Amino acid sequence: MLEGLRVSAFLAWKAIQRGSKGTLALTIMIIALIFVNLVFLPSIISGVVETFNTQSIDFDFGNLVVEPREGSQYISGAAGLQKKIERVPGVTGTSPRITAGVTYFYRGRNTASTLYGITPEDERSVTRIADYMTEGEFLSNGDTDAIVMGATLAGREGEEGGGLPTLEGVTVGDSVEVGYPNGETRTYRVKGIFETQSFGVDTAAFVTGQEMSDVLGLRDQASMVLVKTEVNGREEEYKTELLSYGIQENVWTFREKAGGFVDQAIQSFNIINTISTLVSLIIAVVVVFIVIFINTVNRRRQIGILKAIGIDQQIIINSYVLQVLFITAVGALVGIALNAGVTTYLTAYPLVFPGGPVYPAVEASAILRSIASLFAVSVVAGYIPAWQIVREEILSAIRG
Amino acid sequence: MIVAEDLTKVYTMGRVEVRALGGVSLSVAKGEFVGIMGASGSGKSTLLHILGLLDRPTSGTVAIDGTNVLALSDRRRTLFRLNRLGYVFQDYALIGELTALENVYLTSLVRGDPKEEYLKKSVEILERVGLGDRIDHRQSELSGGEQQRVAIARALVNSPSILLADEPCANLDSQTSKSILDLFARLNEELDQTIVMVSHEDWHKEYFCRIVTLRDGLIEEMTECRRA
Ligand SMILES: Nc1ncnc2c1ncn2[C@@H]1O[C@H](COP(=O)(O)OP(=O)(O)OP(=O)(O)O)[C@@H](O)[C@H]1O
Ligand SMILES: [Mg+2]
Repeated sequence: MLEGLRVSAFLAWKAIQRGSKGTLALTIMIIALIFVNLVFLPSIISGVVETFNTQSIDFDFGNLVVEPREGSQYISGAAGLQKKIERVPGVTGTSPRITAGVTYFYRGRNTASTLYGITPEDERSVTRIADYMTEGEFLSNGDTDAIVMGATLAGREGEEGGGLPTLEGVTVGDSVEVGYPNGETRTYRVKGIFETQSFGVDTAAFVTGQEMSDVLGLRDQASMVLVKTEVNGREEEYKTELLSYGIQENVWTFREKAGGFVDQAIQSFNIINTISTLVSLIIAVVVVFIVIFINTVNRRRQIGILKAIGIDQQIIINSYVLQVLFITAVGALVGIALNAGVTTYLTAYPLVFPGGPVYPAVEASAILRSIASLFAVSVVAGYIPAWQIVREEILSAIRG
Repeated sequence: MIVAEDLTKVYTMGRVEVRALGGVSLSVAKGEFVGIMGASGSGKSTLLHILGLLDRPTSGTVAIDGTNVLALSDRRRTLFRLNRLGYVFQDYALIGELTALENVYLTSLVRGDPKEEYLKKSVEILERVGLGDRIDHRQSELSGGEQQRVAIARALVNSPSILLADEPCANLDSQTSKSILDLFARLNEELDQTIVMVSHEDWHKEYFCRIVTLRDGLIEEMTECRRA
């Protein structure tokens, strides 16, 4: 058996070493491209998911969102709750928010959207909105007549929002009037404009929680508390942890909050991915099969000779399978190099999606899976033609 | 030794039946150098293929050294060819990707012989056929006669109990042909090597100890062994 494998390896190596270099290079290239094809799309999809997640965490929700229990509009004792949450290990920041659906008035135009009341310092410890000011500054604790506004809501002169709320051209220093749901109205000076690419945030505005509580007559109340954790991706564990600390309010992970949208998108992407992978693999089977088949058929005579001089069929088949394994291994390596090239390029010049720039996220598991399927495919595609020809009558094989 | 009885081989091509062998019985004793002669199409190759376990007869029996070789499984026939037979094809049948030396030692590699031993043996046999300075050449770098001698070296390297050769000189000039026949004769005399060789050249007759002449798939004439 081992002796047989040695002979197979000997024959395989001589065939590779002394066979046609052109065919060899072409076959390796084809395998490499199939590999790239198998890894590339999943890496972009992972990148999109990654972008969704970071956007949601950085701008929309933090990692967890704590909301009032059933039946209440507000969390009461918000400050106490905040302290309680911050004692949970792994929590690095909390930000209470009051939410109100308001109407904005500006130069005779008006539009309805969300207004958040926040504690600016707390907000900075959870979201990164303050880092994305395109104009002016973010709120400071104690601001009472200031508002910061998302770029979409502020809008641009003469550009209608296409269904999104926009005031078409608000700039820093302008005054904007806000009509609260309880009928109160206030005029604020625009202190800053931010742009996060996250449309839920870019269509909203922020004032201080202090100001909003004044207008709405709230005391130590919040519509939600956003929670930031030390690491991303372990929201479920932190959620359980929070609940075990006796938090009575509803706790959601950002993914639950983003809700159907992200999940659906991921699901659709996964379907696209599966189809593309299947198609790639079928192409791989066919191409590898054709290349190996032609190669093997061209060697019918040689296979016949090997049999005639007393070499076992299995040794001959194995020598072809080993050749294919070698070619696949080199092809996969070339493929990894090519993919690294593409990934490096797309990291420097990322694809731009509605959610923000998407960087290809190559997952080790995707690479391993692609290599495994390539090998499986190649072995099958290498085995079958060799097996077929080896079974032929010696004389007809030798006659060619 | 070979005992073949009543061998027939019928090829059916559509509705036409070609009777390549029509009932051939033949014994070859150890140490004989038998020449199989006859016109083109008389069934010489067909007979040699059957004796070389490369093909099966339509009917008849073949025993080699007491083994009923037709009853063997394909795998055992392959092993039998590896260990007991040496076959020289009319058109050399070398492996193009291997050098002369590699072609010769390939079967020893399969048998699992120790490396030093088979290298030494292979170089020796190549020297013996006059290719001592060509051992690293590949098929494309060898002349027809040289290729044929590599094929002969390959057939002989494992000291087969029977050497079968199908017109080994067909593509060679008379000078080279003569050197190959001389080699066969020497092997036959010195090592008592059993040889069955197909030929259609009259002047080869003087080398054979026994001549079997085929005609239309039947034995037309069979001489006694000159030496025995
Ligand atoms: N595979 C085959 N299918 C059909 N007929 C065949 C086949 N092989 C051989 N024959 C026929 O069998 C007969 C004997 O062929 P064989 O090759 O044994 O002749 P030969 O004596 O070796 O001739 P040559 O001297 O030309 O080599 C011929 O008539 C040939 O046409
Ligand atoms: Mg012939």
